Amino acid sequence: MADLLIAQGLDKVYGSGDTATLALKGVSFEFAAGEFASIIGQSGSGKSTLLNLLGLLDSPSAGVVTYQGRDAGSLSKEQRASLRNGLIGFVFQFHYLLPEFSVFENITMPSLIAGTRVDADLRRRVDETLGLLGLDGLAQKNANALSGGQKQRVAIARAIINRPALILADEPTGNLDTTNTDAVYDLFRSINEETGTAFLIVTHDRNVAQRTDRVLEVLDGQLVQDVRNSYESSSESSLESFESSSESSLESSSFESSLESS
Amino acid sequence: MLQLKIAARFLRSSRAQTALIIAGIAVGIAVQIFVGSLITSLQANLVDQTVGGSTQVTITALEDGDPVSYTSDIREALEAEERIAPDAIAPVRTLSALFDNPDGDSASLNLKAGNLVEIDPITNLTARTVEGVASLEDGEIMVGTDFAEKYGLTPGDDLDLIFAGNRTVNLQVSGIFDLGSAAVNERQAFIAPELARDLLGWADNEFSAIETRLDDPFDSAAVTESLRGELDGVTVVDWQEQNADLLTALQSQASSSYMIQAFVLIAVALGIASTLAISAVQKTRQIGILKAMGMGDRAAGRIFLFQAAILGVGGSLAGLVLGWLLIWSFSFVPVSFSITIQPGFAALSAGIGIVVALVSSIIPTRSTSRLDPIEVIQGG
Repeated sequence: MADLLIAQGLDKVYGSGDTATLALKGVSFEFAAGEFASIIGQSGSGKSTLLNLLGLLDSPSAGVVTYQGRDAGSLSKEQRASLRNGLIGFVFQFHYLLPEFSVFENITMPSLIAGTRVDADLRRRVDETLGLLGLDGLAQKNANALSGGQKQRVAIARAIINRPALILADEPTGNLDTTNTDAVYDLFRSINEETGTAFLIVTHDRNVAQRTDRVLEVLDGQLVQDVRNSYESSSESSLESFESSSESSLESSSFESSLESS
Repeated sequence: MLQLKIAARFLRSSRAQTALIIAGIAVGIAVQIFVGSLITSLQANLVDQTVGGSTQVTITALEDGDPVSYTSDIREALEAEERIAPDAIAPVRTLSALFDNPDGDSASLNLKAGNLVEIDPITNLTARTVEGVASLEDGEIMVGTDFAEKYGLTPGDDLDLIFAGNRTVNLQVSGIFDLGSAAVNERQAFIAPELARDLLGWADNEFSAIETRLDDPFDSAAVTESLRGELDGVTVVDWQEQNADLLTALQSQASSSYMIQAFVLIAVALGIASTLAISAVQKTRQIGILKAMGMGDRAAGRIFLFQAAILGVGGSLAGLVLGWLLIWSFSFVPVSFSITIQPGFAALSAGIGIVVALVSSIIPTRSTSRLDPIEVIQGG
């Protein structure tokens, strides 16, 4: 599969002189379109730093990030912002929703930033995504009026609405319990299989990492392991299970309540 | 426009803060409009009182007391001058007389003699006649209210005036005027031009002065200069030269009002700037999120420009209403003049309010542009 992203010799140094801290050192790997991978490592190992570099939120001290053959380092800030908007969706540990806006407005924000008009097609996509995430009927609610689990799902909806080539998720389930965590990963997997969106998920949880196709392990700022799992997605496509769950009130409600309780 | 929508939403999310700053701008603009209109009206009133009913550019002889000949040159030069108000050219003769009061002290009177149709466009004597009729036929005299009251005169009464050479002339009061000043109303009187000509022993075309009134009194310096260039052998007098003290006072008043207005604007600008700066800090997280999602630096900066524009437009409109209310309420205050709202000045004030708001947004707009999304994302 064609390379979506190439990281070459990424260094990241914070501070300077005696206080300089090397957060990342010589990280190189290639990442294909449609991959479903995780980055694991201890707290402070540099995995979030790596994700921020890959997400073009931060610039490396040395090394190159290449997206679809374009060297991100050679782009202006505005061009990088535009690349982020069109190519990458973010899901963070904290939802980072805009509290002044409704669920619908939060979800469509990346499209609006891209200059897309809110038309029937976008509305349909929002409706579908809300349905997929068990958020039916919440479109017009203020983002602040949602529970923690609902907010995180809205954040996921926002990340996928523009149909990005890559979703970067930084501890997306860090604030959720085990049941909710499973639900979110199943959802990621189903989106990956359904839409071909690549996922790169930062986690410190090896159990979560084992459920991805590829695990990149970061230790003390260095990429120490890059292994491929023989993980098979749960019995059937999780997307289908979500969709069918809307028909099965029992499953649907258990998914809802499990996320609500987070 | 997404940035406008975000700006409006940010302002709506902190309603109290928004309402306070809009009120602040409104008060600033209202004070601006009120003080500006007050000073303009006050000055217009003072100028009107000083020169409104009198000559503004006057042609006299080179020597004091000599008559000036009203030649066709002078007539043509004055008639060709477009800044002189229509028909406001009056050749007049002035002289003094002593009122022979049969019941007590005599009083001196300054007499001005001219045709009523010529004097009226300058002095507005007909409109200011409060008793009797405005008429300056031979043998008639018009006196002021204070003079009439002091000596118990009513229209139709006779009075004797003693002129130079101890010549006494009996005249009949045709009308009583009020020119707005007690001193003028007591000392000034108007008579027919022929009587003055005979008393002074001058020719038909000899006058004490040719008086004019301009459409705009403040054109007098330019008109005077132009007439001085055209006419020889006469003196051209500018009211502004004669009233330099008054004009200096008016100018000082205007300067102090400009100072007040400038400080009000500075206070408004500081208010908006501080509100926007606070808003920029409060919304750092949101701006970081928007940037992470791909909003460009300039686009993000525009959010605060739009916030400033909304505050500026809202505050200025509210200021226009408040300013109008202030001026309207001033009409109930018993003063000798009324404030008229100057639409051009009010629009200018509102415009300045908006520009000040936009300028105030420079700092938050810049800091927003510079904000790196990683600062927010890393900070959690």
